[in-house]
Amino acid sequence: MELVSIKGLERYYEMASETVKALDGVDLEITQGERIILLGPSGSGKTTLLNCLSALDSPTAGSYSFSGNQVPKDDSEAMTSFRRENIGYVFQFFNLLQDLTVLENILLIQELSGGRDESRARNLLSLVGLEKETDRFPAEISGGQQQRVAIARSLAKKPRLLLGDELTGNLDSTTSSSVMEVLVRACESEGITCVFVTHDETLVEYATRVVRIDSGKVISDENVG
Amino acid sequence: MLALLTKRLARSMMRSKVRITAVVAMVAIAVFSGLSFASYAHTISGMYDKIYEDSDQGMNLPDIWVENPSGTWDGQTSESLCEHISESWEDSDLPMNECEPRLKLDGTMFHTVSSNEVEEEKLIPAVWHGIDEGIVDRVWIPDHQCCSGRIASDDDEIVIDYRAATSLGVSLNDTISIGAGSGRMSFTVVGIGFQSNHLYFSQEGSLFPAEPGTFATGYLSSEGLERLANLSEGSSNLLLIDVIGTPDYNIPTTDEEEGAQLTLIVDNIDDTVSQATDSTTLVYDRSQVFSVELLRSDAEGSMLLYTPITGMIAAIAGITIFLSLQRLVQSQAREIAVLRTLGIPRAAIMPPYFLMPLAIGLFGSIIGTFLAIVWGVPGMLNIYEEILGIPILEPTNLDSLVIQIVSLTMVVVLISGVMPAIQAARLQPLEVLRGQHEIRISSRRVQEITSNLPATIGLAIRSSIRKPARLSFTFFAVGLSMLLFGSTILMMGTMEEVTVGTVEEDQNWDVQSNVLPGEEGEIIEWVDGKGGDYERIIDFPANPVNDSRVIMVKGMDTLSTDNEAFVVLDLKEGSMPVKGAETTQILIDAGINHFLGWETGDRQSLVFGSSSIEVEIVGITQGEIARTAYLHRSDLAKVVGVEVTAVLIDLPEGQTIDSDLGNVSIGVVEKDDLIQSYESITEQQQSFLGAIMFLGILIAIVVLFNTLIINLSERDREIATLRVLGAPMNRLGWMMFGEHLAIGLIGGALAFLFTLAGTQALISTFIQWSFYMTVSADPTVAMMLIGIVAFISVALTPYGMWRIKKMDLVEKVKDLSQ
Repeated sequence: MELVSIKGLERYYEMASETVKALDGVDLEITQGERIILLGPSGSGKTTLLNCLSALDSPTAGSYSFSGNQVPKDDSEAMTSFRRENIGYVFQFFNLLQDLTVLENILLIQELSGGRDESRARNLLSLVGLEKETDRFPAEISGGQQQRVAIARSLAKKPRLLLGDELTGNLDSTTSSSVMEVLVRACESEGITCVFVTHDETLVEYATRVVRIDSGKVISDENVG
Repeated sequence: MLALLTKRLARSMMRSKVRITAVVAMVAIAVFSGLSFASYAHTISGMYDKIYEDSDQGMNLPDIWVENPSGTWDGQTSESLCEHISESWEDSDLPMNECEPRLKLDGTMFHTVSSNEVEEEKLIPAVWHGIDEGIVDRVWIPDHQCCSGRIASDDDEIVIDYRAATSLGVSLNDTISIGAGSGRMSFTVVGIGFQSNHLYFSQEGSLFPAEPGTFATGYLSSEGLERLANLSEGSSNLLLIDVIGTPDYNIPTTDEEEGAQLTLIVDNIDDTVSQATDSTTLVYDRSQVFSVELLRSDAEGSMLLYTPITGMIAAIAGITIFLSLQRLVQSQAREIAVLRTLGIPRAAIMPPYFLMPLAIGLFGSIIGTFLAIVWGVPGMLNIYEEILGIPILEPTNLDSLVIQIVSLTMVVVLISGVMPAIQAARLQPLEVLRGQHEIRISSRRVQEITSNLPATIGLAIRSSIRKPARLSFTFFAVGLSMLLFGSTILMMGTMEEVTVGTVEEDQNWDVQSNVLPGEEGEIIEWVDGKGGDYERIIDFPANPVNDSRVIMVKGMDTLSTDNEAFVVLDLKEGSMPVKGAETTQILIDAGINHFLGWETGDRQSLVFGSSSIEVEIVGITQGEIARTAYLHRSDLAKVVGVEVTAVLIDLPEGQTIDSDLGNVSIGVVEKDDLIQSYESITEQQQSFLGAIMFLGILIAIVVLFNTLIINLSERDREIATLRVLGAPMNRLGWMMFGEHLAIGLIGGALAFLFTLAGTQALISTFIQWSFYMTVSADPTVAMMLIGIVAFISVALTPYGMWRIKKMDLVEKVKDLSQ
């Protein structure tokens, strides 16, 4: 079943001396359950594509539909609602709230999304292997553990699409593998579609599809799973 | 390198123009108010000494007063008492210069006012002094536009006090009609000036300057006053004693014995006079003369207060600068780390953080000094002249005060840069570049306390107290700034309560008519003729054993807390005295309890001139400004031998006092005049008090705004994370509202505690034997302060919301991924 349909997506930035074409006519269709890795050099437009997919940014032109519905643009609150209802996001630097415990970081997102469900939060922590760390503060656990909390947090509100920007960029290779395994397990278990941006070619093994971007265009798109 | 690093810091700071402007304004306000207040304090302190000094231009204030409160001495007795005092004067470092008998009487001025072409006679309570050209306590007619003429030399001449002359429209050579209980007479005004007893121009028992047209004082020749009061030549009721030089005396606000030598002389005179005459006498020094003591106390209080006030406002500015610089260090941590990595030494990082507060302090000080010289100092002295009516002949030199105030401000402001400078220099480049300097473990204790709350509320609480030092500094600064506002309100409330409140609610009489002992019959006839009610009372001074401080003892027919009584007593503890008890039972006021430590159940001795009686204290009253004791009139009459000194009169609706009452009274006090005095002073000072209150709130807004903005900007990262994860604006808004409300409520509560402590400290700088009051924790003021601070805090929520709304999430995501 098609989840995302992008056609002729453009995102231009007006700079003082020139117009930068971050995305220049991207077409992309994503089916439910796929795990896509977006690869490309710096400045290729992959983060901009991720921002458009998450409705953080509005495209300059082109269409973006999600489950058959047009995704809102240029309307901050409508875009926030879309993100809240459909998108999960994992950052490179985890960005956990330092004043909340591991469990509370997950509960907070549930509360902000309108439904606190502690048993689900605990299940998710169990799913990422952190059931014993629920009452610790982020500063009291390792980077890999923090990223697993961030994954659990992003899954807490049952998103349909999980996005990650260089989510292992801050971890060593062993920890990266362990985090990715957890992520794949969690996404399969929850039936969540994933799109990850990375420079790291070794992560391809966790993907079902690899999309390469350069100069704002898709230059290759292949199934690997 | 220093120049470049300073330029870098200056540019960073200039990005927060609003904050910089606010801080400069606060420094300017500190210097402005400090300088204005200091100039006032120094001017009046030196001025009183000059007015009182023994010189051609001064009054020569007496050193000792011997008073006969129950009547007068004839000329022979007066002379003989002075001789006795002179003969018994012990050899000491303080030789006697002069003993001068004087007559001082309460009376009435009959003043005609025209309204709508109808002439009406108003009875104005007055005090008349018989003063010849003497050596001690002369009438003061300064070389100033306020005053003119000469002292009275004939028996139909009078000098009128400047304040009375101004308010009643009396000029030189006018003829005025006055009385002192024996009919009325006309006198020609030959001078307009001042006298030491009334330099602070208020009615007896009132803390506030008399409302224009409600009080008069005049200085006649001694023959003139004897003629007016129908007394024999040489009559007196005061002996003014001057000692060569200016001896030290006991200052009531200290525990020290500053005037031990003078006290010995006072005790000696007390013994001499008691042996020489049967009449009741009081012997005291300048500390028991209300006007002299109040003005000294005001000057001393001002001298004490201007430094803390300047320091307090400068400290608020300093805290704001400190918090801003600290935030700057935090936000520039990476830049500083890069500079350190490039080899810039710690010693080079620090100086700009000292230079910035110095620059802010200097700029603010220049503005504050300019405003103070142009506006504040003249304004303050004008307010003083307008309210007290005492001319300022020579304002103090401002040069040394400018140096003092600016130095104090600069030191406080400079200190604010120390901590941020040290923090900046101590940053470890490696930790900063790894991002480890921002990692900290939240308080486990706070987590446990808030663990059962929803995560949003838990986060709000933990975020608010994330930086306890900053929050404490903010609360401290808000508390200080609200102290200006709160203490003004609390002081006004306290003053109103002990003046208007006491008079308006607890005094159920319209007029107090003072009489010479045994001459109340005509007044009672007058009251009966008007269909009014009355109560006879005795007001008689006494003092504790071996203590010259005066207690006004009131003998009343009805001692009651009943709202219908002529005087409603506010009984703090104990019970009402029983009439005719074996040991005379009395009530004392809370001030006597405070200063003498007398308690309910104690037995003490009270000295009424030469006779002393033992009394049993059965209760303590509150609300009296002057030291007062109450007992049954019949009990007091037995001791002092006087049946009545005044009659309290309650007139029926529509009846007013007239000249018949004035002719048979030695003084008529209308209750409405006492209330008007307070209302008038409040009205006069409204703009001044309003400015202080506005200033307090303005500073509180700046301080709170500064901290909340820093809090918000520090949380950009986590708020951006929540926004990216889909947190709706309204939920973030409620979260922020909760945080601001909590900060506001706690800040408000602390502001009230600061205010309570500050006002108590303020009041304690001037309370003393003659005027005592306490501040009570008025719940209305508490609610108002908490409400205002909470409102300011909550009112910043929309700004925070706007800030989040305009947050560029794409840029923030870039930050989050770096």
